Amino acid sequence: MTFWETITGSDLTREWKAFEARAEALPDDYRAAWGQVVAHLFPYGDFTGRNLMPILDAGLGLLEMAAVDGQSVQEVLGDDIGGFCTALAGGEGARTYRDRWREQLNRNVAKKLSRLGG
Amino acid sequence: MDDLTEMLKGTLEGCVLEIIGSEETYGYAITRQLNELGFADVIEGTVYTILLRLERNGLVQVTKRPSGVGPPRKFYALNEAGHEELAKFWAKWQYVSSRINRLKESGR
Repeated sequence: MTFWETITGSDLTREWKAFEARAEALPDDYRAAWGQVVAHLFPYGDFTGRNLMPILDAGLGLLEMAAVDGQSVQEVLGDDIGGFCTALAGGEGARTYRDRWREQLNRNVAKKLSRLGG
Repeated sequence: MDDLTEMLKGTLEGCVLEIIGSEETYGYAITRQLNELGFADVIEGTVYTILLRLERNGLVQVTKRPSGVGPPRKFYALNEAGHEELAKFWAKWQYVSSRINRLKESGR
């Protein structure tokens, strides 16, 4: 990753285009499922969404493989796409914007409290 | 048998380890094997997330092989840490199942 790419995220746009092209090649029901996976994974993204790229790649890879094997979306993801996405993103150390908000809040509260105490 | 998912949750990882332990294999085949075993409602997505976890925890060796059709397949084999984890799983399973069976028998 070059400095320019870090700042502009231009490499992400390129990666995202590649994901879209791969998703285009999927059967209709798979493409719909992919849309849901993306929507469910979105909250796990950091500011640029860079941390999501490997996770999205894994999810899309599974859908591609399953489509080739001729499985139904139901057989692959079941009813609980949200649960699948949590498992996919979980443990990856995918820090979300929520984590940062929480930290910021904790820090501010701690600061206020220490001021009161001091 | 339906609705086994909740009960299976803690043990499915061990089952997947056992399957990979006997031969190098891939996600779809593992799911099929579990289905044939009688765990009909295990879906590939579940197995896949278990495989990712095993990979992250350094218990498996992953090889990408071209699949003829479509993208390359990921094949999984146990490494040394994986074999150790599998042995631990069976020891725990032995403990839990023997205690539960004892409970059931003493209740009669």
